Amino acid sequence: MLALLDSWFISPFEYGFMRRALVASLALSLAAPPLGVFLVLRGMSLIGDAMAHAILPGIALGFLLAGFSLPVMSLGGVMFGLLVALLAGSVSQMTGHREDSAMASFFIMSLAAGVMLISLGGSSVDLTHVLFGSILAVNTTALILIVGISSLIVVLIATLFRAMVVECLDPLFLRGQGIRGGVIQGVFLGLVVLNLTAGFQTLGTLMAVGLMMLPATTARFWSKRLEGLIGIAVVWAMLASTGGLLVSYHFNLPSGPSIILLAGVGYLVSALVGRHHSLAAKFRRRVIPLGAEDPH
Amino acid sequence: MHANNSRLRLHDLQLAQSGRMVVEHLDGRFLDGAITALIGANGAGKSTLIQAIMGELRPMGGKIICDVPKERRAWLPQQLALDLTFPMSVEELIMTGTWPSHGALKGYCAAHYRQGRKIMARLGISHLAHRPLGELSGGQRQRALIGRTLMQGAELLLLDEPFANVDIETVDVLIDVFHDMAKDGATLVVVLHDMEQLSRLADEVLMLAGGHGRWASPKEILGRYAGQPAKAPRLPLTFPDSIHVGSA
Repeated sequence: MLALLDSWFISPFEYGFMRRALVASLALSLAAPPLGVFLVLRGMSLIGDAMAHAILPGIALGFLLAGFSLPVMSLGGVMFGLLVALLAGSVSQMTGHREDSAMASFFIMSLAAGVMLISLGGSSVDLTHVLFGSILAVNTTALILIVGISSLIVVLIATLFRAMVVECLDPLFLRGQGIRGGVIQGVFLGLVVLNLTAGFQTLGTLMAVGLMMLPATTARFWSKRLEGLIGIAVVWAMLASTGGLLVSYHFNLPSGPSIILLAGVGYLVSALVGRHHSLAAKFRRRVIPLGAEDPH
Repeated sequence: MHANNSRLRLHDLQLAQSGRMVVEHLDGRFLDGAITALIGANGAGKSTLIQAIMGELRPMGGKIICDVPKERRAWLPQQLALDLTFPMSVEELIMTGTWPSHGALKGYCAAHYRQGRKIMARLGISHLAHRPLGELSGGQRQRALIGRTLMQGAELLLLDEPFANVDIETVDVLIDVFHDMAKDGATLVVVLHDMEQLSRLADEVLMLAGGHGRWASPKEILGRYAGQPAKAPRLPLTFPDSIHVGSA
């Protein structure tokens, strides 16, 4: 029994690449889900996806300029992501169109530009690597970068937490206090871009969103409180990334998709049997009796 | 009412809303420690004036002088921007009122929570402290929002139809609270449509009609329209000739 546990859960991590992969994905699991929770609460669940496309040309440019150097590629990704977010914001401000239409236009342009740039300078192998990542190739430099960015994000979220909450809850109140909600929204989008850049090495630009959104949408079925949502999302992200790594090791599957699919299974199960808003909750007939203490 | 001090004054104010002039040449001042009822027909510019005072709308001409610091101004708009699906309890909402004194970064201390509980008791919503916002009735939500302005220590309170969709008991509680705030020196501006509420609440009245404003005392308004409220408690929609410019 012990031997079985050992061969399943312990021995895979005797390999250095598995240990680095684990640390990288745990760090991402700590930083990404809180951002996802806020995105879900703002009704901006798809923005993460759009942002993921936006960072691609930057990564490609970095790749063209400096070869396969993670810091340069990340820097390019962050710069380009912020630039596109800014452009989309100002176009919608100037034209009065809704922001989502401006974003949709810019992000798909970015994706095309990114693919174009990569194919100019590299092979299709490089393209696959950037689009889908390879968590098992995380080296020490990459690890330090990922963990550093994740720590920065966690610290910034903790610092700006109340501002983000109030901005989400009641932007008019915030404006009454003489603070433009746009500033906080801008910082928040910046954090999303940073996080996606940290995630692209491990999960690829397109799937880095998964670790942000899936735990957050899953948590919605289990908690009605903000702290609960964030806590559950982080724990689920960590479980999914550890489990996904193990699955990919034992069954010889690509690691990124394993992690995201495992997180997705959690989402589906929660949608069926979760505590709130799930299918099972719709049929539940148990209620709090009159006069009883509120369990919240 | 305090001595005739005023921290909110209007000078030859002209306001436009989506390219249409709404208010012209409005002068006057809102007294400290007084509740001013803002009345007029739909579209007379009541909400527009409140938006302008809050700095959401730039005047076309003239100016608004407001000496109350920004963080002590509170505004309860008709159309709330409040996201009711946001997972937040009544107590947490009230605690966000500490923002002006406390900023975004510092944590709450025990004294704040004590004050929050006192405010909830005053408003009769202690039993709802941990209830999510989305599960409140209209009256309960209104009490919670007033709780936030109390926490904020608001010195200028702009209320746009605070009693719409609110039960009678809540109206009683809120009227009491508003009188107390005025007694403590706060300036209150309340958009009203109801004679009975006006008689219970207002120290002064500003009527808007046809793009112009006139100041009056509640007595003048109530005296002129005393016969009406019982059946149709709507306020006069046009200027009666007998009412003269008050404290303008």
